[in-house]
Amino acid sequence: MKNRVLFPYWFRYLGWGLVILHVPLSMLGKSHGMVNIMDAQPTSGGAFSGEHLFFICTTLIMSSGLFFVAFAKERIEDEQIWQIRLDSLRWAIYVNYIILIASLVFIEDVGHILELDFWVPLLFFIIRFRWMIWRLNRSLSREDGR
Amino acid sequence: MKNNIRVERAIKNITQADLAEAVNVSRQTINTIESNKYVPSTVLALKIARVFEKPVEQIFQLEEGD
Repeated sequence: MKNRVLFPYWFRYLGWGLVILHVPLSMLGKSHGMVNIMDAQPTSGGAFSGEHLFFICTTLIMSSGLFFVAFAKERIEDEQIWQIRLDSLRWAIYVNYIILIASLVFIEDVGHILELDFWVPLLFFIIRFRWMIWRLNRSLSREDGR
Repeated sequence: MKNNIRVERAIKNITQADLAEAVNVSRQTINTIESNKYVPSTVLALKIARVFEKPVEQIFQLEEGD
């Protein structure tokens, strides 16, 4: 299988590490009165103020973590994995746009759109992709159990 | 599309893992192909046929409705 512009396998662990690192950082920031992506509020201190830089940092850590998890290679990256990957991406785009359009129509606060675009496609993709792989492995272990 | 990979494996006395390694895919993929849940690409079908040293049509056959 040709290399299809994916991160190496170990990036998955790096990604989870960054996602986990984001949690205490955000909590620390919150305790100091700073905002992060989860609040989806504009920073009040102006561009590149301490608050804004913190916002950029936590957002980058979280989103790049999710990005690495989503697009790291599997141990054996074959054509079936590739198909599941594409299928999950398609579903992630569907879900993202359905939620985006629904939120545009029903919610007045447009600040949420940024939050949605950061979270929904990657998270949905990761959940759907891992779930399909889990089902694949389960069917194999069932076969072995026969 | 149906296939008789399971039979061919038995004749050649190789496991799913052996076949997977020979054609460079995961064991899960061989398993889903065998149970007709996944249709392989032409390249993979040809590789599998080459392992069994048979024409691809002897391993994979079209079904009614394909």
